[in-house]
Order: sequence, then structure tokens, then C-alpha cells
Amino acid sequence: MEPKRQVIRFENAGKCFSTPARPEVWAVRDFNLTCLEGELTCVLGPSGCGKTTLLRLAAGLEMPTMGKVCVNGSAVTNPPENIGVVSQEGDLLPWRRVLGNVALGLEIRGLDRQERTERAKKAINRVGLPSEVVQSFPHELSGGMRRRVALARAVCTNPRILLMDEPFSSLDELTRHRLQAELLQLWLSDRQTVLFVTHSLEEAVFLADRILVMTFGRTVAEFRLDLDRPRDRLGDEFIKVLLEVRRALTEHENAAADVS
Amino acid sequence: MKSNRLIRKILLGAIVPVVILLVWHFASIGSVVVPSISSVVEVLAHPFSEPEGLDSTPLAFGAAVSILRVLCGFILAALSGVLIGLFIGRCKLAMETLSPVMSAAMAVSPIAWIPVTIIVFGLSSPATAIYGDRAWEHGLLDQLRFAIVAVIWMGAFFPIALNTAAGAAGVRAGHLETAKVLGATRRQILTKIVLPSAAPAILTGLRIGAGIAWRVIIAAEIFPGTRGGLGYMIATAHETASYEYAFAGIIVIAAIGLSLDGLLRMALVRVSRWQPRER
Repeated sequence: MEPKRQVIRFENAGKCFSTPARPEVWAVRDFNLTCLEGELTCVLGPSGCGKTTLLRLAAGLEMPTMGKVCVNGSAVTNPPENIGVVSQEGDLLPWRRVLGNVALGLEIRGLDRQERTERAKKAINRVGLPSEVVQSFPHELSGGMRRRVALARAVCTNPRILLMDEPFSSLDELTRHRLQAELLQLWLSDRQTVLFVTHSLEEAVFLADRILVMTFGRTVAEFRLDLDRPRDRLGDEFIKVLLEVRRALTEHENAAADVS
Repeated sequence: MKSNRLIRKILLGAIVPVVILLVWHFASIGSVVVPSISSVVEVLAHPFSEPEGLDSTPLAFGAAVSILRVLCGFILAALSGVLIGLFIGRCKLAMETLSPVMSAAMAVSPIAWIPVTIIVFGLSSPATAIYGDRAWEHGLLDQLRFAIVAVIWMGAFFPIALNTAAGAAGVRAGHLETAKVLGATRRQILTKIVLPSAAPAILTGLRIGAGIAWRVIIAAEIFPGTRGGLGYMIATAHETASYEYAFAGIIVIAAIGLSLDGLLRMALVRVSRWQPRER
């Protein structure tokens, strides 16, 4: 079997910010990660550990202060082509209706109206949104629906890379589970390379091929998951992995707290 | 239920105008200053008739001259205000350098600039520029005095530019990044993100600018040295004690101002449809 292609690569990457109170704040430091083609990698860590910065580095929205970030073999200096990004807030454009939001990427690429409407409607359908919502404004939708629209916009251009920053946080548990299952369905049929950032242990174990535990800007543990999909959240194997990951996370959190 | 609410709205809206008409009617009885309602209606009903005993053009021509002056000044202010406002809003250095100066300039009444614009532009107009000495043959074009258009521009430009700048500066970073990761060019970011996001602020600026422009024109036309327009007609009517013309002029000013504001309010509602309504 041919080895899988390296799609996203962080080589000793780091990002330092300066604030009036602290001139040097390292959000990410000495970070190494290689995402192979078609792999779903979850980066797990508490709030403020640098997960979002990591994703922004891969998306070309931040430039590394140290090391290198490569996407498809080239160092990232601008947002790479053919990526889909779903942010925490979804960042839907409030003045555009659902259809206009989903079709934005196609419009930017200059596709004609008919083709982009067809493709946008297909994407809306794929994320489980009813067709009636296409003419709604974002503020008329529920939180879960808005996340679906953001997901539809990200997949509408058929990207080969998906960067997802806690896309289902602040949703109720039931909706979150449903959206996780739908994302999995999408990924199983398209097999994009996904870098998924979350602070939810359960979400990471449910979705990931690989989990990287991150605290204070550094990777502290890595887990490969060979559980069959769809994963049973109440199954023994699932809970076993969940506890292992949790142990790693709390151990390193405590160690870091002791040091600081 | 709906028709009851409509009737109620009409009745409530009619109270103040009816009271004004009653007060006007009683005030006009035996007065030489307050004209009767019927004499004013007479002037309004014949907008194309030459005013009797008044060195002024017909009411309709005066209104057309005022509208034309306001439109020219306002369109120039809208174009320059939106362009400069976008630049200031998207460029931090420009915002820090220009914003305080513009806020100070906005605090000065545009009327104060009238003597300056008269000194700078004199009696020149598009007609004097094109036809020279024969400018007077081209009535409407000759009425479009640069000095007056410049005053209108001064009045409307600053609120339009400052509102546009505030709208453009307030575009959410997340929206800009959404377009960037989808591969948008700078031009696409401007047309698909910055402009629609700032549209309600721009329209608010245009609405304020239009209101100021319409008020300023009347003051500018009353100023010595200008001719034509509703302001000039009111001033002349006052001098010759033809108060029915002054009152008719005021009513036309109010009606045009209301229509202009109504049009811009409709546009504002249209571009703000996406904003959640407060209940």
C-alpha cells in the first residue's frame, strides 16, 4: 500500500503574541504535527491552551513566530487554496440569507448563479438542513442550524482540508451529538483531511483517528484510536479510551499548574 | 383588527396638523402678517404661475432649482464621502490622522462657509464655465452656482464620511477572515464584506447628510448675492410682504424634505433587513 501523503505539517511551530501587560505570550510553542491525507485529527485541550491559534496558523490567518507550517508541501504564507474553515462562532454573514452564505465560496470563485445555487442547495441538504431555510437570515435560525449552515459553507467548495475550531461548542448535548454524527457521515463519504479542535473529551474520542492532547501551547500526549465507527459512547472500549485521554490531560494540567 | 389599527394611526397622526390648521386659521383672521389658508392653497394650486408683485420665478421653478442644487451637492458629497469614509474606516493611520479634523469640521455650521465659498467661486456656475457671458440664457444651468453646491457639499460630506468610516471600521474580523480563507481578493472583500456590512451606517450617514443639505440650501438661498430657489422666494416674499408665498414655500420645503427622508428611510430599512428587530 502506498504511504499516505502529508497534508498539514507543523515543524517546531510557535506563535508569540505581545500584550500591553505581557510583552511575550507564547500561544503555541515547539509544536510538531503531521496530518496525513484523509485523517481526522483532533487537538484536545482546555480553553486558552493555543488550539485556536494552531488552526489559524494552518489557515494562513496567523504567521508563525518560530518554526514552519506547511500545507500540501508549501509553507503557509496566505490562506491555502481548497480549504474549508468552520470557526467557533460560525461567522455567518448576517446580511446574507442561508443560500447566499453557503454559496459565498462559489461566488468568490466566479461560478455562475445557477451552478452555485445548485451546489449550495446540495450542500445544505447534505448537512441535514430543511430546504425551507435557504431564504432565511442567520438570526432567524437556531444555534444548531447556524452551525449546520457554517458546515455547509465549508464543504460547498469541496475542500480537501477542513479546519474546524470547536464548531459544536455551546450547543445542547443532543444537537451536538447529532451534528457530530452528521460530520462523521460527511467525512466518511468525502474523506477530507480534518484538523478538529475541541475541549470536549467525548467529542474527540467519538470523532478522531488521532488525538493530540495540548496544554500551554505544547503537545503533551498523543493517542491513536482504532475503534470501529460509529462509536458507541456507552461502550466499554469508548469509555476506556476516554478515561485514558482524561488521565493524560489532567496529569499534564496538574503538572503544568505545579510548575507555574 | 388591522383596519382598526390603521384608522387609529391615521387619527392620531392627524391631530397635530388639524390643531396647526385651526391655530393658523384663527391667527390669520384680521392679520396682515399671517396669510389665510385659502390664499396659500391658491399659491400651491398654481405652482407654474408667475408670482404677483414678487421678483421671483414660479413656485415650481423655485422648487426645481433648490432640488437641483441639493441633488448636485448631495451626490458629490455622497460619492466623495463614501469613498473617503471607506478609506478612513479601513486604514488605521488615516482614521487617526483625519478623524479628529473631520469631527471638528462637522461641528462648524455649513452656513458659516457661505461667505468663503462666495469669495472662492463668486457667481460662477456650469453655465458661466461653458457659455461665458451668455450664461444668463441658460436659466437652470446658471442657477447651479458652484458656491451654493459647495456649501451643500460641506454640509453633507462630513456626516456621510464619518458614518461610512465608522461602519467600515466596525466590520467583524471573523467576516473578513471568512472571505479570506475562501480565497477572496481585496476587491471582493470590499464588495462582498465591507460594503454590505457597513451599508446601514452608510445609509444613516446619507440620511443625516440629506437632511442637512436640504436645510442648508434654504439658508444659502436666503443669503445675499444668490438668486432663484425656494429660499430666495421666501426671502423676497418677506421683503415685499407677500406672506402667502413665504408660507407656500415653507410647506413645499417641508413636503420635499419629508419625501427625501422617506426615500432614504425606505432604503435604510431595505439594507437593514438582516438585522434582528427589537421587540
